[in-house]
Amino acid sequence: MTSGDGRFVVVFNGEIYNYPQLRTELETDGAGFCTTSDTEALLHLYAHYGADMVHRLRGMFAFAIWDQARRGLFLARDPYGIKPLYTANDGWTFRFASQVKALLAGGHISRDPEPAGIVGFHLFGSVPEPFTLYRDIRALPAGHTQWVDAAGPREPEPFSNIAEVLAKGAANPVPAAEIPERVRAGVLDSVRAHLLADVEVGIFLSAGVDSGALLGCIRDAGQREIRAITLAFEEFRGSSEDEAPLAACVCERYGAHHIVRRLSKQEFFEDLPTIMEAMDQPSIDGVNTWFVSKAAKEAGLKVAISGLGGDELLGGYPSFLDLPRWRRWFGPLAAVPGLGLFARKLIGGVAPSFSRTRPKALGVLEHSSNWAGTYLLRRGLFLPNELPEVMDAEIAREGLRRLKPLRRLAASLMPDPSSDVARVCVLESAHYMRNQLLRDADWAGMAHSLEIRVPLVDFTLLRALAPAIPALTPGAGKAALAKAPTVPLPDEIVTRAKTGFGVPTSAWMDAAARDGSGSTGRAAEAKGLVSRRWSQAVLNGAVLTKRQLEVHAS
Amino acid sequence: MKPSPTMLALVTDAFGGRGGIAQYNRDFLGALAETGAVSSITVRPRQAPDLFVLPERIEQTPARLGWIGYSIAALRTALFRPVDLVFCGHLFMAPLAALITRLKGAKLIVQTHGIEVWRRPSWFQRAALEAADLVLCVSRHTRSAVLSWAAIAPERVLVVPDTVREAFTPGDGSTQRAALAIEGKRVLLTVARMDPRERYKGHDRVIAAISNLVAKGHDICYVVVGEGADRIRLEALARDAGVSERVRFLGRVGLQSLVEIYRMADLFVMPSTEEGFGVAFLEAMASGTPALGLEVAGARDALADGALGTAVSEAEIPVTIARLLAEPKPDPGALAAAVRGRFGRETFAAGVRAALNRLIEGT
Repeated sequence: MTSGDGRFVVVFNGEIYNYPQLRTELETDGAGFCTTSDTEALLHLYAHYGADMVHRLRGMFAFAIWDQARRGLFLARDPYGIKPLYTANDGWTFRFASQVKALLAGGHISRDPEPAGIVGFHLFGSVPEPFTLYRDIRALPAGHTQWVDAAGPREPEPFSNIAEVLAKGAANPVPAAEIPERVRAGVLDSVRAHLLADVEVGIFLSAGVDSGALLGCIRDAGQREIRAITLAFEEFRGSSEDEAPLAACVCERYGAHHIVRRLSKQEFFEDLPTIMEAMDQPSIDGVNTWFVSKAAKEAGLKVAISGLGGDELLGGYPSFLDLPRWRRWFGPLAAVPGLGLFARKLIGGVAPSFSRTRPKALGVLEHSSNWAGTYLLRRGLFLPNELPEVMDAEIAREGLRRLKPLRRLAASLMPDPSSDVARVCVLESAHYMRNQLLRDADWAGMAHSLEIRVPLVDFTLLRALAPAIPALTPGAGKAALAKAPTVPLPDEIVTRAKTGFGVPTSAWMDAAARDGSGSTGRAAEAKGLVSRRWSQAVLNGAVLTKRQLEVHAS
Repeated sequence: MKPSPTMLALVTDAFGGRGGIAQYNRDFLGALAETGAVSSITVRPRQAPDLFVLPERIEQTPARLGWIGYSIAALRTALFRPVDLVFCGHLFMAPLAALITRLKGAKLIVQTHGIEVWRRPSWFQRAALEAADLVLCVSRHTRSAVLSWAAIAPERVLVVPDTVREAFTPGDGSTQRAALAIEGKRVLLTVARMDPRERYKGHDRVIAAISNLVAKGHDICYVVVGEGADRIRLEALARDAGVSERVRFLGRVGLQSLVEIYRMADLFVMPSTEEGFGVAFLEAMASGTPALGLEVAGARDALADGALGTAVSEAEIPVTIARLLAEPKPDPGALAAAVRGRFGRETFAAGVRAALNRLIEGT
């Protein structure tokens, strides 16, 4: 879209939820709108505020504005990184797109590998921004803008930071008694904003607290007709692992129309090649999001709300307990220089089978002396010292040097959010959620022409809750969320959600991975080891798919 | 307004130097001084065998060849005068330049050319380059090579292509043809040094190709300009291929002769595999002669991905030579103007200025 005077041209991927307010403000200031699209608001905002415009946006966005007068390009990406934006610069030509695949499809971009991206995938199970698997393609980091002119792109500049919001919040704490009301008001406000649409907005509903509470809030926001999609598994039908009955109970409470989509092992295997094809950068997850998006598409939905982000924001992951514990128990020992390395070498020599089956147990003494290391230990697929065994040793060494994983994790904790809950919140939001969950939601949704909206991943909500987050005790956040709707979630949802639900997909993934690698099955292994095998299959599968593409293209 | 920054340039050679790197340094520093983006430039060369005239705002200290003497002299120059920017003209000097940058709280620009960055350099050189505020590369390929081993923000690594001197223009080359007694022949030309340690410029490929074409009845003469110890081997190669009287080694020639030799050639060909950029392609095309190279490394940039010259694979070189010789020579004026538009002095100066603005704005 081009501005009225022809000076600015914008390409935009995303949704601006505060568009109505922005439009009113801009019109008061004299801007004339020609369309009813939020895209046009970006043009007026840029003309008015320049790069500072990003502070006024609420939503998920990745956009580029060409300024004809200054002969330059302004790029921006939302603070949480919900929408992706990839760039490639060969020194002569600057290119950008929403997917790595799109950039590669245009030709002209080198496929030389980026060791940091490959190493990052092995450490985290997804490719950490700003890296991709290719050296010449980079992600514009979340919450950054970038200016590109005749001399090429400038270094991206940050405009928002999760740790900073939480650090500010910690400076003005709210009493524990006020937390439920804060959560209620904040979540309802965010849900209301996320319902802005000219098409029907549906919801992904599990038997968990996050999506259930969001459904209740949608109801409170005044939407009458709500269709809720639940992904359930044939194998679990009638068992206590089946989420469908509980989800149905939530639907009944809020008067939503329930669509249960049953997934069979057969369908999983049938779709697997398509999933690998749709995946942009390799990821060890996203399969469940793929199928629930497929179900939403079958139901004719174009937009669906997801409870993604609730665990990061409100302390729902076990990591909120584990990380502070590990730091307390092992941190002092790990602080002894060389002790961790010594223990690893010793045990590796004396009991090699132990280090093979429990690789992370040995890492505790090496990594738990700081938050970054402890997080790497908790989320890590492989640990840095194991990399030379699973990949080319030179790529591993070079990749670690370029990625600097510990320094990168530590940098995301600046300024210090000053409470354990907030620190884990930052680490989970700025790494796992950003590089894994949000990326998966994007490619899996886009492959089904479905826009996935995430009201619990919202900077306005984060600012509202930041003063409350440090005081969250285990379970308190989710309990408050369950009570956010006027009619609270049934108690059984809150209790049941604590134990969690199994998904058969990880077993299927393992079967697929073994199939691909041709390795013989070994009995009951730790879950981490299953993910490891799957990650290798995904990486190999991704390579395979690309080769096939090349064959088609030639 | 802040005063314009001062620059210390550590170079192998610049004013009074010979060869491509010296030429690039002269072009770069000259363009910089001319724009007024820096108030003064002190050039510290390791060698300067020829006489020279300095542009305004530039001074050059006496050459110091020895590495230790050079380092001490450079440090002394840096200590006794203000230095805001350090320009390092060669990767080998980057550790020294990084040290001076540190001592002076200055900003570091490292210039890269080609062959010196194809492989990962020493630990010290890599660390020094990674500490640079700006890395300039003559081509996309050079930039890509730097980024393959350097952990540096890619936005700090810019391409500023080589430029072609004003002296190279189209015109009459008949005097040179007469002098060489090659009137009426189709003339191929390569201008490159013949270094036995490098051997990547591709003379061998041209000699092999013409022996075939001559056998098929083409009346070809291959003119080779440049010096180097590998000449003896190439002469033997031409003899073995039975084309020794069709290959003419002219050695090193003066600028005026060089311009005329470019003009008289029908096709400039340099199937070089490891070119950082290949400024000779520009010189040929600016003189109105079409150019042919390999579609690898920096040559792709000089040939502008085929927009100015012709870039093909190694296997296609013989047929492409035959095809281009069969075609009438294209309009020299149009070719020269296109080259000048893309790689001329003004474009180069604008590129240098835009790159430097990155640093100066930030101070």
